[in-house]
Amino acid sequence: MYSDVKMDVAPPRTLTELFLGFLSIGARSFGGVMPWAHRVMVEERRWMTPADFAETIGLCQFLPGPNVGNASIVLGKRWFGLRGALVAFLGLFALPFVWVMALGALYADVSSHPGARAAVIGVGAAGAGFFVATAIKLGRALVRKPGALAVVAGCFLAVAVGRWSLLVVLPVAAAVSLLLSSKKLL
Amino acid sequence: MRLLELALYFGFLSVISVGGLASVMGELQRIAVQTQHWVAPEEFVQLYALGQAAPGPNVLIASLIGWKVDGLAGALVALFAMCAPAGGIAWWVSGLWERFKDSPLRATLQRAMAPMVVGFIAAGGVVLATPGAPDWRLWLIAALSAAGMLAFAKLNPLWLLAGGGLLGAALL
Repeated sequence: MYSDVKMDVAPPRTLTELFLGFLSIGARSFGGVMPWAHRVMVEERRWMTPADFAETIGLCQFLPGPNVGNASIVLGKRWFGLRGALVAFLGLFALPFVWVMALGALYADVSSHPGARAAVIGVGAAGAGFFVATAIKLGRALVRKPGALAVVAGCFLAVAVGRWSLLVVLPVAAAVSLLLSSKKLL
Repeated sequence: MRLLELALYFGFLSVISVGGLASVMGELQRIAVQTQHWVAPEEFVQLYALGQAAPGPNVLIASLIGWKVDGLAGALVALFAMCAPAGGIAWWVSGLWERFKDSPLRATLQRAMAPMVVGFIAAGGVVLATPGAPDWRLWLIAALSAAGMLAFAKLNPLWLLAGGGLLGAALL
């Protein structure tokens, strides 16, 4: 459709619209929020362009905190100020929070069953694999940079093998990494 | 008192979780299991799995741990503490970031951050897949799931989680 190419975007007009948009992101985001955030805000409701979306998410990935949670605050602020940030954040978390509490309560009842425990631990291990896959995807861009690989290895070993506190690892890693980066070694 | 502890620890995690929850998964496990004994090692993986099975941001594991510690109040406090400090930073930085759009400092920061985030995320995966003594079966499930995610970019991750559940029931 040509109208898709042209892409007329308009931010949400009311706080209710903002809330309902983020509510529908949270409600449907099984297996990851990011794809649904894109679907709702860029494709369905056309609040923003794909490029704008990518840039906003990019910034939020770089900041501490949950990426899409941060995006809800940044976008809510952009469109409606403090009220917008709160409304978007609450909309995003309202339904998933209820759902996860319900699952937790349900699981407490069946957790004594060995089969159920084994299955849930298996799900957790599969989820652990997502982390590894994500690290590999992000790490591909760094393969040809020895300095960057050294930082990756150092951070990995300190946390995964050394089990050191991030309170120690983060400042040291940040200092080393910034030094390398400012010398153009990353 | 326990609510205050939750607020402080999760607030701390929130501020240092550069790149998202994945970066602090190792630290969260260290605090919740080893230092504070909020949950048992195996239970930690189970709560993480529940958080994954629910829709929504994966920080919801914070609310599940909070709930274990102090019921509904604990759940709300932990989730809020995990999100609010980082949210405040995002609020403040998003304005600043625009102003420094073309600054070389911004590029230097981005380059410095990238390898750290990769290392911390990979470590988070290993920590999660190793709740107790190293167990090849959990590592196998994690490796298969990672391979599946890399090989089939469009696949809904829920299928991989379901596969992990089936394998877990069969192997463990």
